[in-house]
Amino acid sequence: MEAIIRIEKASKCINRGRPNEIWPVKDVSLQILRGEVVVLKGPSGSGKTSLLSLIGCMSRPTEGRILIHGRDVAKLPERFLTDIRRRLFGFIFQQFNLIQGITVRENIMLPLYPTERSFRDMKDRAEELMESLGIIERQHFRVKGLSGGEQQRVAIARALINDPEVVLADEPTAHLDTKLSKDLIEILRKLKGEGKTIVIATHDPLVYEQDIIDRIIEMRDGRIR
Amino acid sequence: MILHPGILALLGGSLIVVVMLLYSSYLGIRILRRWDINSSSEEQLSLERRTYLLSTMMSFVLAFEVLSIFLFIYTADDLHRQFVGAMCATGSLNANPAGWYVLYLGILIFFLSSLWIGINYIDQRTEGFPFVRFKYGFLLVITPVLIVKTYLQAKYFLGLNPNIITSCCGALFSGEGRGLSSSLSSLPIRPMQYIFFSVVGIFIIMALVSIKTKRTRLWYITGVMSLVVFIISIASIVSFISLYFYEIPTHHCPFDMLQGYYNYIGYPLYGSLFSGTVLAMLASTAEILKKKAPSNSNIERYQKKWTLVSVLFIIVFVSIVLYPMVFSTFTLEGY
Amino acid sequence: MIKHLKILEFAISSLWRRKFKNLGIIFVFSLIIFVLSSILLLTYSFKKEAIAVLEGAPELIVQRISAGRHALMPVEYMKKVEKIPGVGAVIPRLWGYYYDISTGGNYTVMAEYSGLKDLVNIMEGGFTGEKGTCIIGKGISDARFAGIGSIIPIIGADGKVRKLKTAGIFTDESRIITNDLIIVTPDDFRDIFNLPDNMVTDIVVQVYNPTEVDNVARKIKKILPDTRPITKNEILRTYDTLFDWRSGMVLTMFLGAILAFIILAWDKATGLSAEERHEIGILKAIGWETSDVMELKFWEGLVISSLSFLTGLIGGYVHIFFFGASVFSPALKGWSVIFPEFHLMPYINPYQIVVLLFMTVIPYMAATIVPSWKAAITDPDVVMRG
Repeated sequence: MEAIIRIEKASKCINRGRPNEIWPVKDVSLQILRGEVVVLKGPSGSGKTSLLSLIGCMSRPTEGRILIHGRDVAKLPERFLTDIRRRLFGFIFQQFNLIQGITVRENIMLPLYPTERSFRDMKDRAEELMESLGIIERQHFRVKGLSGGEQQRVAIARALINDPEVVLADEPTAHLDTKLSKDLIEILRKLKGEGKTIVIATHDPLVYEQDIIDRIIEMRDGRIR
Repeated sequence: MILHPGILALLGGSLIVVVMLLYSSYLGIRILRRWDINSSSEEQLSLERRTYLLSTMMSFVLAFEVLSIFLFIYTADDLHRQFVGAMCATGSLNANPAGWYVLYLGILIFFLSSLWIGINYIDQRTEGFPFVRFKYGFLLVITPVLIVKTYLQAKYFLGLNPNIITSCCGALFSGEGRGLSSSLSSLPIRPMQYIFFSVVGIFIIMALVSIKTKRTRLWYITGVMSLVVFIISIASIVSFISLYFYEIPTHHCPFDMLQGYYNYIGYPLYGSLFSGTVLAMLASTAEILKKKAPSNSNIERYQKKWTLVSVLFIIVFVSIVLYPMVFSTFTLEGY
Repeated sequence: MIKHLKILEFAISSLWRRKFKNLGIIFVFSLIIFVLSSILLLTYSFKKEAIAVLEGAPELIVQRISAGRHALMPVEYMKKVEKIPGVGAVIPRLWGYYYDISTGGNYTVMAEYSGLKDLVNIMEGGFTGEKGTCIIGKGISDARFAGIGSIIPIIGADGKVRKLKTAGIFTDESRIITNDLIIVTPDDFRDIFNLPDNMVTDIVVQVYNPTEVDNVARKIKKILPDTRPITKNEILRTYDTLFDWRSGMVLTMFLGAILAFIILAWDKATGLSAEERHEIGILKAIGWETSDVMELKFWEGLVISSLSFLTGLIGGYVHIFFFGASVFSPALKGWSVIFPEFHLMPYINPYQIVVLLFMTVIPYMAATIVPSWKAAITDPDVVMRG
């Protein structure tokens, strides 16, 4: 299997050289293969989220290399990182991170605003996703009035609007009850069936004990155990 | 004199722009000294982020300078009543030796800052930002020019003395006077027309051939040609183009056509000429940059696009020039 | 291209979501632009009207000065002036002031002369130059309820009343110069004011070559040392400087207000609410680039300033030309004494608009650059750290 992402001895340092210097990620090497579902497991503060943001090109490592499709992106300026991120990744955040005042459909289309995709095109893609996630009749509602489960689906639809190869999820079940968490797992199962690569940072057994998980990477103090 | 609203607006605005450019230069020097694209340090990240601020400020400076060229001419025009012998902007500009230099420097700054923004555009879209040093070095050239211009502008307005007797376009742009401007207007019209149309024709052909063949030398020639087109066009505006707009065989003023009386024809005329020239210069500057850029850069695409748009602008310019020559009943036969 | 439109769309929707806060900014900004545009429009139309009036005035007027005061001029002076090379016609003028007890107004009385032709064109009725007839300004006509054919009684220097018949009334448009004017025949003028036949008030000198006017003026001063030649250019210049100076003064006083507003703009842009900050974090996280966010902020600033600019400018225009500068009139006593009632012709040119832009929109946009950059460089992963 081909590795989509390869991380070689990556470390991330914050406030370097100052008394409050910390290393959320230290000397991490790992590979993520196409079509895999990987869980980053560990207690809070173990560096899962920071590693996820390195994988997702949201921040740059202080040391080490990050290869995406064989190309080192560790030193790319933000402009190009954003470009890669826009094409390759879809993000599902712990707090759904939706913009409250605008409609479901606008929230879902938002990642495509700074691209040359036409409005028509964006709308068609958003409707397709809302259809498959069962929120199409909510499309003109403002996010404010939606239930937790519906907000979760909106967040997922937004993550998928750019048809990403890799879906990254940060503690996706933290704010969901058991039933909604199970629904989420079913959505992830469907995505896996479509051939998406999925990386989930979580410490919820409900997630990492599922049969769809191919591999679990345990983290503690910024390192892989 | 300083309490004229136009002067207040110009001086105030220039001050903002100077402060911006000084700050940009300071950042530029820091970037020149500390820039290291291969470093992942927080300092490098913060420098990279400051480049966004710089680009925005430079766009602001360019927008301001373009507007301020027109505001300057307008203000000079508005002031003309206060000088004995002045009948339009030309007279006011003559009232003080600094006047014309402010205008020339304004045009120079327009070209320089447009080039900077073009280079910045290429740089930010090329992996590894290969022109960072070049760009910020160039910025340090623009800053002093702008400061000198602002100084001269202040000096010009503060030094205006209503009792000065100046000469106006009638005297300045007449065949009998001496000096550059009157030699421009006394240029024989027929030969000038031949020169103008052949220069523009050569430029358009060179530009199209450059796009087709992509030869380095041709790009350079096109760039130089665009400058020649600019100079010849300005000379032609004074020499014969203005006559067709004013329909008076002796009125050579290059500013009056900006007035509503002449349907503001000067704006599209100068607008298309300046844009066409600067885009062609940019395409030819891009050729110099291409050598240093990684092979997967898009420079050639931008170059092609800019040259095409430049040719379009020049065609618009020539059409505006040709329109009254073809359709108006006014002829220059016999002059 | 489409990208920029989409970001603009989102900018408008963002502004709309925070409409109360943004309407506050737009209100303050509009108010400043309203005041500034009112000042500019007012002084410019004054200047324009005054200049329009003077444009029809004679190139050169010569008055006699006696003991530092304007005095009557003997007709012999005219012959001396006529002999100066380059001088065309020399036309005598008769004019003076008349205090009308019944209305308490001070009128300008002028005898008809050939240079008045321009004025005669802007009246209703006809004036044939018949003795005992006059043309009056709209102000006098209103004060006395006089129409064409009405009798205007004038008390002469000998205390006896002359009854002048109104043959014409100047139109409203020319009010700024003709409001308090009475035109009579030269014979009537001499009769009313008991003026000797060999004296005139001043003379108009026509010069063939307009560039020679200053020269001729200098020669007159040399030949007739007790005279004061006044050239039209000199008056125009004085007016020009005066009006520029007036509007410049007021604008300078308003610089404080503008400055305060810029500080407000800066503060508004830096003091982003927690909610706005969070939104920008989300945008960065889902794939917006720093320059996209800056573009968003640029559009927001542009929409705010264009809306305010249009509102303020239109407000200023309506205020000056339809409501006669009513907000300003207490502050403009100096002007309102000269011009009893404002009826300014609506007039606006691109120059005034550009000057206004330079004084308002440009500083505003400049003030928002740094704060919007600060907002835009939010780390993309900041929302994950929450």
